[in-house]
Formats: sequence, structure tokens, C-alpha cells
Amino acid sequence: MTEEKKVVDLLAVFSDLGPAADAVEQLRTLGVSDDCMNVISGVPVTEAMLGRPRQWTNVPRIAMGGAILGLSAGIFLAFIAPYAYPYPIQVSTQAFVPGPPTVVVLFELTMLGMLLSTFLGVFLDSFFPNYRPMKYVPEISDGKIAIFVECPDCDEKKITDLLKKLGAESVKPAEAQHL
Amino acid sequence: MADHKHDADHAHSAEHFREKHLMLDPLPRGVMNDMVMESMTTKPGWKFWTTVIILSGIVAYGLVYSWAKMIAEGIGIAGVNRPSYWGIFLVNTVFWIGISHAGTFISAILRVFKAEFRRPFTRAAELMTTFGLVQAGFSIFMHMGRVWLSYWLMPYPNQRMLWPNFHSPLSWDLLAITTYLLSSTMYLFLPLIPDMAMARDRSTGWRKNLYKVLALGFRGTEGEWTHLRNAMNIFAFAIIPVMFSVHTIVSWDFAAATRPGWNSTIFGPYFIVGALHSGMGAAVVVLAVIRSNMKHMDYFIRAEHFDAIGKLMLIISMAWAYFFFNDYMVQWYGGDKWTHQLLHFHEAGPLGWMWFAMLVCNVAIPWAILWNTKWRSTPWLVSTVGIIINVGMWFERYIIVPISLSINRMPFTWRMYKPGVEIPLGIGTLALFILLYVVASKIIPLIPVWEVQEGQMAHELKKFGRETVVSVSELE
Amino acid sequence: MTNAIPEVKLAEEHVGKWGMVINQDICTGCQACVAACAMENNVSFVGEEDSGYGRSMHWIRIERFWEGEYPEVRMTPNQPMLCQQCGSAPCEPVCPAFATVHSTAESLNLQVYNRCVGTRYCANNCPYQVRSFNWRDYERPEPLPNQLNPDVTVRRRGVMEKCTFCIQRIHKAQDKAKAEGREVMDGEFTTACAQACPANAIVFGRTDTPESLVSQLAHKGHGVKHLEELGTLPNVTYFKGG
Repeated sequence: MTEEKKVVDLLAVFSDLGPAADAVEQLRTLGVSDDCMNVISGVPVTEAMLGRPRQWTNVPRIAMGGAILGLSAGIFLAFIAPYAYPYPIQVSTQAFVPGPPTVVVLFELTMLGMLLSTFLGVFLDSFFPNYRPMKYVPEISDGKIAIFVECPDCDEKKITDLLKKLGAESVKPAEAQHL
Repeated sequence: MADHKHDADHAHSAEHFREKHLMLDPLPRGVMNDMVMESMTTKPGWKFWTTVIILSGIVAYGLVYSWAKMIAEGIGIAGVNRPSYWGIFLVNTVFWIGISHAGTFISAILRVFKAEFRRPFTRAAELMTTFGLVQAGFSIFMHMGRVWLSYWLMPYPNQRMLWPNFHSPLSWDLLAITTYLLSSTMYLFLPLIPDMAMARDRSTGWRKNLYKVLALGFRGTEGEWTHLRNAMNIFAFAIIPVMFSVHTIVSWDFAAATRPGWNSTIFGPYFIVGALHSGMGAAVVVLAVIRSNMKHMDYFIRAEHFDAIGKLMLIISMAWAYFFFNDYMVQWYGGDKWTHQLLHFHEAGPLGWMWFAMLVCNVAIPWAILWNTKWRSTPWLVSTVGIIINVGMWFERYIIVPISLSINRMPFTWRMYKPGVEIPLGIGTLALFILLYVVASKIIPLIPVWEVQEGQMAHELKKFGRETVVSVSELE
Repeated sequence: MTNAIPEVKLAEEHVGKWGMVINQDICTGCQACVAACAMENNVSFVGEEDSGYGRSMHWIRIERFWEGEYPEVRMTPNQPMLCQQCGSAPCEPVCPAFATVHSTAESLNLQVYNRCVGTRYCANNCPYQVRSFNWRDYERPEPLPNQLNPDVTVRRRGVMEKCTFCIQRIHKAQDKAKAEGREVMDGEFTTACAQACPANAIVFGRTDTPESLVSQLAHKGHGVKHLEELGTLPNVTYFKGG
């Protein structure tokens, strides 16, 4: 029995949350696995609203790593740098490594490290900046929800009919274009 | 029939809610996008260009020329002397850092507390933070005697084998303000990315190129939203202690010193509340200007927002009065003869009028006006109070820096401070702040539309018995 | 992290802790010390207008007060005020560039001109208000540059300066003594202000040798230290009112 091995690569645009969630559910019954689906939206809709599996993110871990780097920089400036001079410099009767100023230095540099790395984490996790042609339609930033189906083993006509029945505004082949 | 009457009531109150509350007055996202893009890209008219030219002229003379003259001739053309070694430069530095705190308060603290009314103006507030910090940076560099060597204060390995002196509050300032400037710029940029994508999708020409670069290829995939919102959560929580620490550290420039009137343990929280006081006043002025001068902004920024900020202004004014009295009472009671001389000089010296004006502007006027809901919902009235508060807070810092420095423990050195080139330099920073904002309003969409839509999605009207109430769902 | 002030030994050991005693009761207020200090240390001439505005750069000043109501007005003892070379100087920790540091070996507060970036925090924090800032590049019309002391740097605008206890004279005397294989003798040299004072109201010398004149005077018992209650540990003892 020959099966259609054509790769299905569709983009369906919905304007409401309800029909989009229905579509995701129905697509699963048609044999499209969650990995083959991707949802793009103009407003953050959580995966739970659409019945999708949760996305993992590395941002918190990267933030923690950055905080540790910042703390190390602070430890260097507070504890090591004062002894790096030709001779330890004496100011007033304060110790070479004074207590409260050290707290300030450690705190500020830890926060700086954490926040810089959180910012970088977004870039790394999302592969920003990305100026290659990507699959997208501009209607999404007008608040629409788009479902990509990229299924190597499915019936294109059945999927298209289902999506149209559930209220998709348009179903068309997904083309990678310059954004 | 009873039902019909109740339905009519319900319909009437729903209409009423929609008119008053942005969150209950949703428009299709496409329409809101259109409004924001149009208000940004409308071809600028003569009012815009006149403003830009005048401001640029003030910046060119007040900031560029005057600063170059001061670098060439020395700090002597300013008004600082013995004993007021610090003058308006430090007053302006503290003033601008104070204004910048309002942005973080609105976009971080209000977000953490889930105050929905913040949604339309978080970006306008964050722009205030970034631009305010730029002016603070200028003001602090201006006051240095050898500003061309200011890079010596940065921590980097050098031929002198020296690192900065971290015993000094000025070095803590460097770390804190750098951290705060970078963090708040990043916090401005993160929620801007989806709006950059929206602008990219709806523009042509040079704008499209600019937004395309700034949008970084954002599409709105589940992954991108997850990373973005996770990062924004971390930022919102983490930038609050940073903000508190920044103004505390700035206050320690004074509190760590040995001067009477300066060596006060309450300066930390006193300055933070003072910062919020002047900052919220400035925020409300910015919002009023945006609302009345830019197209469609009256849809996004409504009387309810001025009402909400007005309430905050009143509470913060009370907090400021508490901290001021705390500081004053303890100094007055302590009986130290130098501090008493200082307090007497504040109230009854040649600039005693400033002390009284400070109390009137910071306490009396806000308390007299902001208690009334109707007055609080009037944009021009609240923003006038905001300007008055900023004047009062500038006076407060003038009293703390040059006036307090005039009195010390060596009476032979007591002398008045008379500002010189600080005045054009200070006006230059104000003009630059406004100029940056005016230019930004043409390039950056001032309303975070995706956040507004997110909020509108979460709000609905529900009936509890016979009453129609606003209900907010926790969508996150 | 201890609070002890460690002694730092350097290759070129500086021997001698320096201090001063000033007798306000015999100071006549003639300002010879002020003039001598300005000559010795290349202090700039600021001019009448700036000086009236509180920008005089004298490293030592004579403070004059009176007390009482007219017509019973009395002069109080003249008060020469100069850098007290505090043991716990409030000016030192606040400089972000380490331009004012402590020399525990010499018991002096050092000012490093070429590290100063001019934030003026040290001047704000000095309770004695003895620091001078170079507000401008003040002119020295000819032939004044001929009078400059080659042992002392000439400071430019934007740099803080203050009394150094004539550290150039200290080091010159020490170098000479070292070359001759001995320690500096008390009275072998002195600061410009002490040298010029016609009433000998200013006495300068080593405080770590009990035989020196300064030590003997300081231990006489009726000396006071100004603003002692602040804990600055000043190195200058004053005789006042008796």
C-alpha cells in the first residue's frame, strides 16, 4: 500500500483562542504529533490555554550562572584587588577589606551579572538576532494565532479541511520569507 | 418590567465602564496597532520642528558650549567654593536619578503587584528612566575637576596597578548607577521586542529597516514568548532591589560624610521616597503631554490613569512628609550645636523661603488637591501638581547640598553659595531630556500594545447579584 | 578583616613620625606663616574676587574671632588652621581614586596630585575645611615663575591640594641624614610656616622621639586638639587660653 509521503507544511491563521485550541486537539487525533505543530501568536497565550506541552526555557539557569559570575567579579574587586597594589593602601583607620563597602560591591555586581545574563539568555534561547527568512505572516502581530503544521506523514487535504471547518481564516503553505 | 429595567441598568453601567476603563474597552488588535503606528509616524508639523529646534539650541548652548567652556577654564566658572564644594551639579544628579526611579516603580513594582492600570504607560515611564539616567550621568561627570581622566574611576587593570577605592561611596555610585542604567535599558528593550515586530510588519522604507533590525527576528512563537516573559519576570523582581540600592547609595554620598545635617541614618529611605515623589510627578506630566499632543493617545491614557497615579502621589507625599519629619525631629532634639545652627540657617537664613516653599510644594499642595477623586482625574490639574512637586523636590536637594554645606564646624569658613555656569548646564540637561523624549516618540511606539491587549483579554464585566463588577483573570 | 592599622615597611624606610604644636596664645596673627607656606609650596595667587568668594588657596589660614556684644568686644586667640594630618582622616576613604592616602610610617596624610580627578569629596569631608581646590589655572605673571620652588609640583586646574607638612623638606632632610648614616636630628629642618613665625608659635618635629621639642610641648598637659570628639586623631596640638 503506497502512502502519500509528501511533507505537509501548512500555516493556518485563527482569530480566536477557542477555535485554535479546538484545532490543536483535533489535529492530534489526525495523527499530527505535538512536535510537528508550532503556534505563533501576537499576544502571549500560554501553552496550557491551547492544550500544548509546556515550553522549557534556559533563562533562569543562565540568570543564575550570570549571578555567580557577577559575584565572582565582586569578590575579586573586594578581596583580591586591594592586595594587588605595590603596597596595601591605607585609608583612615578602615581595614584593607572593609565590611559594609564589600557588601555593597558584592550585591551590585551580583545583580548586574544576573540581569545582563538574563538579557543574554533571551537572545541565546530564542536564537536572536535572526534575520534569515522565517515562516511568518504579518497578520500575527495584529493579534491572530497561527498554527504551523509540518508533518512528514499526514494527509494534507484532511488537515486543510479540518482547519477550515474549525474556523481558520486562511490555510496556506508556509513559506519562509524575510521578515 | 423589572427585568427590562435591570437590563437597561446593566447596559448603561457597562457602557459607563467601557468609557472609563481602557481594560474594559477592547478594540481589535489591528485597530490598536494602527492607532499606535499612526500616532508615531504622522508627518511632524511645525509645532514639532519648532520644539526640536528650540530644544536643540538650548542643548547646544547650555550643555555643549557651557561644558566645553568649563572644561577649558576650570570649575571656577561654576559657583562652588569653600565650604560648598558640591553645588547644583550634585543637586541635578540626585534630581535626575530620582526621576528615573518612577519608571522602574511603574514598570516593575506595579507589575509585581499586578496593578493593571499600569499597562498603557510602562514604556513611557521606562523611557523616562533611561533618559533621566543619561542626564544624571552628565550632571555627575560635569562636577569633576578633571573629567577627562574620569576613566580612572573604572575598574580595569592598568599601568598604575590601581583599582578604584571601594571604601568610597562614589565608587559604589559607579557600580550602582551602571547596573541600574544597563538594567533599565534592558528592561525597556525586552517588552519592546514584540512591538518592534509589529512595527516592522507595518512599515516601509527606513523605518522598516530600523524595526527589522531591532525586532531581532521575533515572530511570537511559544518558545520566544516563554523566554521573553520569563526574563521579564526575573527583571521585574530583580530590578526592584537594584532601584532601592541605587538611590540609597546615592544618599550615602551624603550620609557617609561627617558634615552636620548630612550624617543621618535615615537618608537611605528618605531619598528613595523623595525619588518616587518627584518621579511620579514627572511621570504624570509626561503622560499628560503625550495624551494631549499625540494622536489617539486619549484612547490609551485616560482619566482613570491620572486618578490612580494621583492616589500614589498622595501616598508618597505622606511618606515623604514622614521621613522629612523623622530626619528633622531627631536633629532638632539632639541638641548638637552645629546641627542647630544648620537648622536655623535652613529656616531663617537668606534662603529660608526655599525651605518653606519646599514644604508647601511637597506636602501642602498635594494634600490639598489630590484627596479629591474628581480633581485627581483631571489631567491638567494633576500634572500641574506634578510640576509643583518637582520644583519642591529640587528645592529639597538644593537645601541638602549647597545650603547645608554652608554651615560646618569651622565658622570661619561659613559662606553662601551662588550658582554660576551650573544654571545653563542644568537647563541644558532638562532640554536634552525633553528633546530625547520628543525624538523617541517619533521612533518608538510609546504604548506597549501587546500588554494592553493582554490586559483587555483578562478583564471582563461580571454580575454579582444585581451588581456589575470588573473581574480580572490571572492569565499568567 | 581587622581594624588594626598595620605598619607597612618599605624598602626605603621612612623613619620618623611628624607632628606640630601651635601656641595660639602667642600667635600675633601676622600671617608670615601663610606667606611663607605659599612661597615654599608654589601656592597659586587667586586674586581678590575669587578669594572673597571663598576660593583662597592658602594651605594655612589664621582664623580670627571675637566674642561679646558691642561695646564689650574681645578678641579671642588667633587660630592658625592647617591640615591636621589626622590619624583617622575622614578625607581618605572617600576619594574614589586613592588620591589621598595615609602614610602610617610617617604619620602623615598624603595628597597625590596626579591621581586626583577632582570629585572634591575629600574637601567636603574634612571637618577642618583645610583643603584647597584649583578652581582655575591661576596666572603667574612674570617674573613670578622665577620664585617657584623646584622641589614642589605646580598644580593645574581640577586638582585638590593641602598642607603636606612640607614633605619635600622632610624627605630632603631624611635623604641627607641617611647619606650620612644617622637619623634626622630635631631642629635640623622645619616647615616653612614654623620657620617664618616670628613669635615661634609653631613648633614642628618628630613626635616619636620623646626628646624632641614637639614631644615635650605636646605632653605638657594643657594642649587641646580641635574637634577631637570626631575621632579624627589630629597630629596638631594647640595651646589655647592659658
